[in-house]
Amino acid sequence: MKKAIFVLSVLVLVLFFFSADYTNAQTKEPYRFGLAMPMTGGQALFGADQVQAALWAIEDINAKGGINGRPLEAVVLDTQADPKLGISMATRLATVEKVPVFVTAWSSVVAAVAPVANRQKVLCLSVGANSPKIAELGEYVYTAYPLANVDITGVAKYAFNKMNKRRAAVLYINNDTGLYAARLYQEVFKKIGGEIVTVQSYEPTATDYTGALLQIKQSNPDIIHLQGLVADSPQVIAQMRQLGIHQTVTSYQGIYNQKLLDQLGEAAGDIIICAMAPDDMFHAPVKAYLERWKARKGRTPYGLPYTQYVGDSAYIVKALYEWVEAKKLPFTGENMRKALLAVRTFETPLVGKIIVNEDHTVNSATYLIRVVKGKFTYMDTIPAE
Amino acid sequence: MILQIIWTSITSSSYYILFAVSFALVLKVTKIWNFAQPGFMTTAFYMMYWATNNLSLPIPLSLSIALIITILASWAVDKYAFGTLRRVKSGGFTFFIFTLIFSEFVAYLFTLLFGTEPFTVFPNIFSPVIPVGGIVVSYWDLRAVTITGILLAGLYAFLRWSKPGRFLIAVSNNDRLAELYGISSRQAYTLSMVLAGILCTFGMYILGTKIAVHTHLSLSLILFAVAATVMGGIGNVFSAAMAAVFLSLLQGFSVLIIPSRWQNLLLYFFFFMVIITMPSGFLSFVRTMKGRRE
Repeated sequence: MKKAIFVLSVLVLVLFFFSADYTNAQTKEPYRFGLAMPMTGGQALFGADQVQAALWAIEDINAKGGINGRPLEAVVLDTQADPKLGISMATRLATVEKVPVFVTAWSSVVAAVAPVANRQKVLCLSVGANSPKIAELGEYVYTAYPLANVDITGVAKYAFNKMNKRRAAVLYINNDTGLYAARLYQEVFKKIGGEIVTVQSYEPTATDYTGALLQIKQSNPDIIHLQGLVADSPQVIAQMRQLGIHQTVTSYQGIYNQKLLDQLGEAAGDIIICAMAPDDMFHAPVKAYLERWKARKGRTPYGLPYTQYVGDSAYIVKALYEWVEAKKLPFTGENMRKALLAVRTFETPLVGKIIVNEDHTVNSATYLIRVVKGKFTYMDTIPAE
Repeated sequence: MILQIIWTSITSSSYYILFAVSFALVLKVTKIWNFAQPGFMTTAFYMMYWATNNLSLPIPLSLSIALIITILASWAVDKYAFGTLRRVKSGGFTFFIFTLIFSEFVAYLFTLLFGTEPFTVFPNIFSPVIPVGGIVVSYWDLRAVTITGILLAGLYAFLRWSKPGRFLIAVSNNDRLAELYGISSRQAYTLSMVLAGILCTFGMYILGTKIAVHTHLSLSLILFAVAATVMGGIGNVFSAAMAAVFLSLLQGFSVLIIPSRWQNLLLYFFFFMVIITMPSGFLSFVRTMKGRRE
């Protein structure tokens, strides 16, 4: 009897200590970071999916023990993609929530919150905006998303070196999206020995492109680089093909959208698009990621590559916390910035390798997708330099 | 190349013509600068898109649904908003502000319902082409020109030969005098708004089968309609149509001479000069000069 009571007591004690330890692990103070994204308003369609991707990444990180036993937690705030609201949210994250790092997106929002991040010395990670200006926003603003220089440089070199195209025409939309990229394409293509035969542009409000396209037709290029938006690029290409311009068109991530194929069908002709994130055609984790979307939401995410980058930003934050913890430093924005520059190379599940440079740019691979007979097919990878 | 630009500019002006005529007609009859028109244009497009893509209805049915809803919206705005403002004898500025707010409201309403993603009426926008004497003519071109031609001819016939059409002209010339002859200016105002709704719906059908439309596109398109109305001379509905063609040609050809980024500047400089030097409109000015020479 005594023996039985003794065994039972030991069992109860073991259970008590085990459960106490378990409870202690669960109640450990989480490592927090800010996630300022548009959750309502016109951009919510994309913002909400990006937040969802980050929340699943956090779920996965915590399921594997978090950061040395402490869970990772996101403080999600709504910016509505509005710079004014973005400033309020960034201020709240820095001064009320006191997070040392926050993730945000939309170039106008990133530009607006940059002074807050710099003043409060909180690390701001821009994920999604590709304007080169993002690299010039101050000491505490870094991007985890490749800026326009990566894909445009890559595709210009690829056209010259691998496709033997010597005469290029450039057609761009006359706004921030088109201007810089078109200039960069010309510079790179000319520098490696190519000839730019004509440069044409169109206004964002244009509904007809005949004049510019006929100028391109007359200049008879080997290849045409188009830097437009997903809204106008299909109709530019449609008019191009209607006018009998059948040269290969290269473009950037912005038009990598099923809509392009739906709107053009087989009339799309030969189009090569630079994707900044691998997709399920050639990267298995993305396939699993898309299956998760279908299982939980019954659909694929809006703006897939952006969700991949925002999802992976949780892994970047995890790596930063691990570095600061290992160095036994206080969890401040200054130390998070130090961690970013010390770690620099991040291996993430959905995007792969992301290399953050000291000049606030990012190197990553560019994936070339070719439209063949009205379908996207993987063409080649331009590795991260 | 020149012939191609002329042809494409004319076909591309088709929807601009309908928007300009619609704007000019309401201005002529009601004396209201109807910046609520983008709201009707947005409504027409999204109803058409919704009926075609969400309800999978054939285009004649979708177009009919869009027509009914846009006409109802035009009627409701005239009856409940303009009517109220008229009753309290509001000034032109109040009407102007109301119409702007209405269009913004509609744009944000449809943004909430459909998002910011641009849509086309049909999933595929590629229109087959036929070469005609060295000019590329697409099926879309033919459809746009035909619809616009029929609508303009119909409107002309309606205003010239039908009783309600003549009443409309009478009210636009002098509404008080028209009232003395037993013509209801109230009904004429409503009729002009309904006609504007019809023109806008067909304009958005032509536009939406060529380019992707988003919720704020109509607000930028209306500036072109205003420019054409002023250039054509306020009160000249069909001159606004001619001005729309002229502006479209001007834009098309300017690409050959100046970079595209100067296009809008050129357009607005021209517009600015017309307002300053020819307040009664460019076409009226040309007619006056011709008359003087004769």
